Amino acid sequence: MKKLKKLPNNFTMKKIILIALALFTFQAYSQEKNISGSFISNSQYYLDDNKTGDFNEDNRFRSNNYLKIDGNYNNFSIGIQLEGYAPQAILNYSPTFNKEIGLGNYYLNYKTKKLDITAGHFYEQFGNGLILRSWEDKELGINNALVGGRINYSPTKEIYLTALYGKQRAGFKLSDGEILGFNSEISLSDLFKLQKSTINFGFSAVSRIQEVENSVPEFTKNTNAYSGRLNISSGNIYSNIEYVLKNEDALVEFQNVKTDKLAEGNAFVFNTGYSKKGLGIDATFRRLENMNFFSDREQDGNVYNQQVVNYIPSLTKQHDYSLSNIYVYQAQPKLSFNPIGKAGEIGTQIDIYYNLKKGTLLGGKYGTKLALNYSTWYGLKANYDLVNRTYSSDFLGFGKKYFTDANIEIRKKWSKKWSSIITYTNLYYNKRYVEETVGEVNANIFILESTYKFSNKKSLRIEGQHLWTQDDKKNWWASTVELNLSPKVSFYATDMYNYGNELKKIHYYNFGGSYTKNNTRIALNYGRQRGGLLCVGGVCRVVPESTGFSLALNTSF
Amino acid sequence: MKKIILFALILSYSYTLLSQTSLPSIELKNIDGEYIKIENTVEKDQVLVISLWATWCVPCINELDAIQEYYEDWQEETNFKLIAISIDNARTTSRVKPLVNGKEWEYEVLLDVNQDFKRALNANTVPYLVIVKNNKIVYSHSGYTPGSEIELYEKIKEIAQ
Repeated sequence: MKKLKKLPNNFTMKKIILIALALFTFQAYSQEKNISGSFISNSQYYLDDNKTGDFNEDNRFRSNNYLKIDGNYNNFSIGIQLEGYAPQAILNYSPTFNKEIGLGNYYLNYKTKKLDITAGHFYEQFGNGLILRSWEDKELGINNALVGGRINYSPTKEIYLTALYGKQRAGFKLSDGEILGFNSEISLSDLFKLQKSTINFGFSAVSRIQEVENSVPEFTKNTNAYSGRLNISSGNIYSNIEYVLKNEDALVEFQNVKTDKLAEGNAFVFNTGYSKKGLGIDATFRRLENMNFFSDREQDGNVYNQQVVNYIPSLTKQHDYSLSNIYVYQAQPKLSFNPIGKAGEIGTQIDIYYNLKKGTLLGGKYGTKLALNYSTWYGLKANYDLVNRTYSSDFLGFGKKYFTDANIEIRKKWSKKWSSIITYTNLYYNKRYVEETVGEVNANIFILESTYKFSNKKSLRIEGQHLWTQDDKKNWWASTVELNLSPKVSFYATDMYNYGNELKKIHYYNFGGSYTKNNTRIALNYGRQRGGLLCVGGVCRVVPESTGFSLALNTSF
Repeated sequence: MKKIILFALILSYSYTLLSQTSLPSIELKNIDGEYIKIENTVEKDQVLVISLWATWCVPCINELDAIQEYYEDWQEETNFKLIAISIDNARTTSRVKPLVNGKEWEYEVLLDVNQDFKRALNANTVPYLVIVKNNKIVYSHSGYTPGSEIELYEKIKEIAQ
């Protein structure tokens, strides 16, 4: 059933050499240096581990490498990204990336004040990304760049228009589905010359075109999605509202496209806030119904997050600490009947930032910074007909509780040398519904991080974390010691331990160091990684436990 | 193997190109939703510091908090300007405005929601900081360790002259 195109290897090779040559000649002709780029290399050497098991896959050594070069001359720019996964991509990357060296991205762009034309690979986001976002995250192994053409046109400074056509990258191949998109953004406040407020209006349309084999006769290969947005900001207050409609599309169950079972999708987001010096409040309400949208229908719900057309992040606090990243909510936009009925999610998130002024009782000598966050997410309240695969939902109905958390973060500078960040989290995580496994988790997390500055170059950071829960893997503690010898050299050691678990207690320890000079950084690490969800920017993927060395190098030029 | 050699060759060639680059000309929205062209916000010879950060990045916030402590004094002395460009995506971008106000940062804050600017700058991770003078990038740095803002200011003074 795989219908992905594959280019012959030598063709790509020739293309690389040609583009590289073009770039170099380009450089030779231009008066000043107009070439820039970056190089990123992440390598792993996996070891056997008597606690978590042997490494049973091919290639203990694996390496992901990215070389990006961009050049520009007058109104033109050109660029490539070479990618090498030698001898194989790091664990749990999509197998579509496995290639020793290949041309990942290439583009040619022409840009004037009003016009911006791109041919080749490009990244794009319409509004908040609810109907279209192509992006790259090397850590997650996501690159769904569109390959095709895009025109941005801005006839006046109040109007921005985009039209695009392309296919999404799927590793080194292209998706089977085609994407056609249109976006417009109009600044009404500039148009009507409003001085004190901003009003922006946005409208987008996206069409995904893909033939389905053996479909029922009346099935249409196009799926259209529309988004309308309004942003208003006046003085201290602002509001954003977005409504999305996705036309009827086939239900997909375990890669089976059921063209006789159709359902519409929609999304509604309302965000509002108030902020002035020293205080900021932000609140968001979001409702999603059947909003999964993939370039290739068969890829719906694939574990590698490949060929996703839209971007639906979970609206919860994004954490930076290890124990806070064990129970991470993932947005639930998918319609499914098996194993449990789910049609979407509904919920809210609130953030408050407050600065206790210097010299006040609670503010102390240096002031105290507070950040509060609360979010709660439910399944849609709906009745499911499991036999006919139909359902009916309420617009403002809250179904099963999926997740809720409350976070308090206090940042405090005690003296010229000492500063701390104190974080407390209370959370509820419905494993049965979010991960479609079993169980529910109630947990409390307390984290204390302190930094001591020996001098302007040398500092020590210590982090202590504890997670209390009667559920799942029970209690955990974790700690980190980080020594910054100079702005260039730092070392760290961390450990996390599920000491409360009677079945399997494991220390997940890591040691490492890094050297940074200007924009070049080299880091070496040895340790044992906790398996589970790895989440970056609200997108998660499941990674296995692994033990070994890792070497990371990145630089820009 | 041939491919790896080619890869290495291209890499080493790219290294011979190390010198000044122009600031990418990309319009970004500010936190009120207006499009801003960065080069229009600075005067001739004025030193511009651009810091790429995110609301979820603890060292980024530490760095911007640390610079804020000295910002007024340093500006009086060298008339430089800092623009903090958030690379928060749709998940966290609504948190930028309340955070900036809550923290009383005085920087101009722009939004790079799909990382177009970050990509054009060839920045790999955040925090990432560049110093710009007359639209040319003269210095770039990744990462932040407590106290390194002092070293940064030395660099700003050196470039301002």
